[in-house]
Amino acid sequence: MLTYIARRLAVSVVTLLGVTVIAFGLVQMLPGDPARTIAGLLASDEDVERIRTRMGLDEPVLVQYGQFVSRLVTGDLGESARTRRPVTTEIGARLPKTIELAAAGTIIGSVLGIFAGVVAARFRNRFLDHSVSMGSLIGISMPVYWLGLLLIMLFAVNLGWLPAAGADRRTSIILPAFTIGLFTMALVARMTRSSMLEVLEQDFVRTAFSKGVADRNVVYRHALRNAFIPVLTVIGIQFGSLLGGAVLTEFVFAWPGIGRLLVDSIFARDFPVVQGIIIVFALMFIVVNLVVDILYSYVNPKIQY
Amino acid sequence: MGGVEIGRARRGRHRTLTRLVASLAVAAMVVVACAPTDDPEDTLPDPEVEETEEPEDEEAAEGPTTDIADDATFQMAVGVDFDTFDPAGTTTTTIGNMLTYMVETLTRIDEDGEVLPGLATDWSVTEDGLTYTIELQQDVVFHDGTPFNAEAVVFNLERVQDPDVEVPIRAAFEPIDTVTAIDEHTVEVALERPFPPFIAALSFEGGAIISPDSVDAEGNSYTEYTRPVGTGPYTYGEYSAGERFTVQRFDDYWGELPYYSDVEFQIVPEAATRVSLLRAGQIDMIILPPISDLPALEEDPAVEVLLAPGNRTIFMAFNNNTVEDPRVRQALNYAIDRESIIERVLFDAADPVDAPMDESLFGHCSVGEWPYDPDRARELLAEAGAEDLELRFIAPTGRYVQDAEVAQAVSGFLEEVGVSVDFETMDWPTYVGRITAPAEEQEQDLHLLGWAPSYMDSFQHMVIFQSDQQPPNGLATAFYSNPEVDQILADAAVEIDEGARADLYCGASEIIWDEAPWIFMYSQRFPIAYSADVTNVSFRPNESFYAVYARPAS
Repeated sequence: MLTYIARRLAVSVVTLLGVTVIAFGLVQMLPGDPARTIAGLLASDEDVERIRTRMGLDEPVLVQYGQFVSRLVTGDLGESARTRRPVTTEIGARLPKTIELAAAGTIIGSVLGIFAGVVAARFRNRFLDHSVSMGSLIGISMPVYWLGLLLIMLFAVNLGWLPAAGADRRTSIILPAFTIGLFTMALVARMTRSSMLEVLEQDFVRTAFSKGVADRNVVYRHALRNAFIPVLTVIGIQFGSLLGGAVLTEFVFAWPGIGRLLVDSIFARDFPVVQGIIIVFALMFIVVNLVVDILYSYVNPKIQY
Repeated sequence: MGGVEIGRARRGRHRTLTRLVASLAVAAMVVVACAPTDDPEDTLPDPEVEETEEPEDEEAAEGPTTDIADDATFQMAVGVDFDTFDPAGTTTTTIGNMLTYMVETLTRIDEDGEVLPGLATDWSVTEDGLTYTIELQQDVVFHDGTPFNAEAVVFNLERVQDPDVEVPIRAAFEPIDTVTAIDEHTVEVALERPFPPFIAALSFEGGAIISPDSVDAEGNSYTEYTRPVGTGPYTYGEYSAGERFTVQRFDDYWGELPYYSDVEFQIVPEAATRVSLLRAGQIDMIILPPISDLPALEEDPAVEVLLAPGNRTIFMAFNNNTVEDPRVRQALNYAIDRESIIERVLFDAADPVDAPMDESLFGHCSVGEWPYDPDRARELLAEAGAEDLELRFIAPTGRYVQDAEVAQAVSGFLEEVGVSVDFETMDWPTYVGRITAPAEEQEQDLHLLGWAPSYMDSFQHMVIFQSDQQPPNGLATAFYSNPEVDQILADAAVEIDEGARADLYCGASEIIWDEAPWIFMYSQRFPIAYSADVTNVSFRPNESFYAVYARPAS
C-alpha cells in the first residue's frame, strides 16, 4: 500500500508540472493588457509601465515561466497583482470556506443520493423509482444559479428562516450547501440505482434473501457494499470539482470561496492568483483521487494495491 | 434640463406617496398587533433581525441630548470587494466611497456636485493661477490621536506624487510642484502650470488625508497601505476578504457624529441576492439592484428607491477616422430613440444628455438635443451617399448598467435606418485592448463607453476630444480631431477666470455636439435601495452613496 501511495505521489509531481505549463500558458492567452486592466483607464502610461515592471510582465515569457516555477518549488505563489497580498494569503483566506461548502454539499448529496438510489432500485419500476428518476432529472438539469435564487426567495424572503447570503452565521451554509448538494444527490442517486440493480440480480443476493436474511440487511450490508465502488468514484470526482469552487453558487450566496476569487481574478487579469488557484485546484484533485483509490480497498477488501 | 428637473420632482412625489402608503400599512399592522398587549413599542413589526436594540435607540433618538446609538449597526451590501485600502490607490468609485467613512479629503462635493470645504476651510489662488494658499480645519485629530495639520497635508500631497506609490489616477495631482507648510494650519501649494480645477480635484478620494504616522503602523508601509487611519467619522474595524468590512464610530470626530456605532459593508456580488437581502429585512441598504427589479422595488412599501443622478456619461463613440462624414454621424444621432431606450432598457435609471458632458460638471451648458427622427436620418445618409453603410460595433458586458443591452437596442435602431451592423460584445479587459489600439489597428467603427471624471469638472471629461489624446497616447478613442476644439480646450485648461473657463467649455461643447463624434446618449443614474425603516440616505453625483448620517426612520 505504501509503495503504491509513494508511486502515485511521484506520478503526481509530473502531473503538477504539466499543470504549471497549462496554468501559465492559459493566462498568457487571455486577451487584454493585464497592467492596463489593473491600473484602470485613467492611469498614465508611466504608471501602467511601473505596474508592468512590478508584475514582471516586461520579461520574456520563458523567463517569467522560469521564475514562476522556481518560486513555486519553494511554496511561493507570488503576489496578487491587484491587492499586492501574497497569493497564498489570498487563497488561504478562501480555501477553508470552499472546503467547508464542498464537504457539506457532498455529504448532503451523498447521503440523500445513496438513500434515494437504493430505494429506487428496491422498488424498480414502481412509483418511488419513477419519482427518484424524475427528481434526479430535475436535480441535474436545474441551473444552480436559478435554484439558488429560488431557495433564497423561499427560505429567506418569504419564510424568513435563513440568511439570504453571507457566511457569518451558523445557518448561512444551509442554502448554498443544498444548492450544490442537489446536483451531487441527483448524480449519486442515478449511479447508486444502476449499480444496485446490477448487484441485486446476482446470485449471492438471491441466496441471502432465500436463506432468510432480513431485507434491510441484504440491501444495505451485502448489496450496497458491493455496489458502492462506482458510487464512491462519482462522489470523489464531484467533491474534487466542488473543491475548485462552486462559482455560481458562491456568487449567488455571496459565499467567500475560491471560485469567486478565481472569476474576479480572471476579469481583473490578476495572473498570479489565477495561476495559483489552478495549481491548488489540481493539487486537491490529485489528493482526492488518491484518497478515493485508497477507500476502494477499504470498501472492497478484494481490491489491493 | 427642465425635463430632467420635472422628472426628479415627480419621482420625489412618488416617494412621498410610497412613504405615506408604507406608514399607513405599518400603522394598520401596529393597531392589529397592539390589541393583545399594552406596549406598542414591543409589537412593532421589526424586520431588522440584526437590530434587536432598535426600540432602545428610538428612545434615545427621542431624547433631547445625544442623538447617537451606543450599539447599532447599519448594514449595507455592495457588489465589489476591496482591491486596495490605500486611498491613493483607488480606481473604483465604490471602494473610494467606502474608504471615505475613514478618510477625508480637503474639499468635498454636495448633491449638486458643488465643491465645498472639507478638511480645508478656505483657499485662495494668486492671479497667475500658480500658487494656492489653503487654510485647514483646526482641532481635528486622526484616529491614532495625532493632530491633523499642515505637515500632514504636505506629507499626503507629496506621497501621491511619489512614483514609488501606486497612484492610478495621478493626473489629479500631477501639476503640483511643491507643497509647503506655512504655519500649523496653512499650506501653500505651488503648481508647475495653471490648473484651474485644482480645488475640485482635491475632492477626489485619491487625495484623501491619512495620518503620516500610520504608514509605519502595524500592517502598513509607505507604499503598501492596508489599514487606513484618517480623520473620518469611522475607524477601520475588521476586514474579511470576499465577505465583509466593518468600521466603528470615531468618538473624537471633529464633525457631527453619525447615529450608528458600527457600519458593516457586506460584499454580495450578485445583484439579485442583494435585493433578496433587502426584501428579507436582513440588510438596511443596497446599491445597484438589478435594473429590471426597479419597478417592483419602487412599489414595495418596505423599500425606498433612490435613483441618484450620476456624472457618468454613456455614449457610442464613432471611429471618426472611418466614419469621416459628419452628416453620417449626425444621421445616426437622429436614428436613436433615446427615450424609449431609457424607459424600456434602463427602467428610467438614466437621463438623456443635452451636452457632451453631464450637467453636474463644472463647464456644462445645455447645447441642444438630438430628437428621434429616422426619416431625417435616412435623408442625411442618402445625402452623404451612405445608404449601404456597414458598421462594426462593439460593446463591453457588465461594465456599465445594461451596457450590452443598450448597445443591442442601438444596433436595432441603426438597422432600422438601413445601416448593417456587425455587433460584438466582450469582457472588459479584452474590450479595453480593442478600443485603445492605435489608429491603424482599430477594428471597429463604433463602440460604447461610459466616462465619469474623478472630480466634477469638465477638464477631465473633455480631454477625450483632444486630438493629442488619441490612443496610444490617451483615451480619445473616437479619434476626433478639430484644431479649433483643441485650441479652446488648451485655453480652458489654463484659464483662471471661472466664468471665462465655463464659457470656453460651453463653446467647445457646441462645436462637438454639432459635429457629433459620438452618438450622444445619456447619464447613467446610480440606483440605491434601502429599507423604509431607515432615513437620511443620500448620494453624491459621482456614483456614490452618502449614508454616513443614515438613521432609523421614526
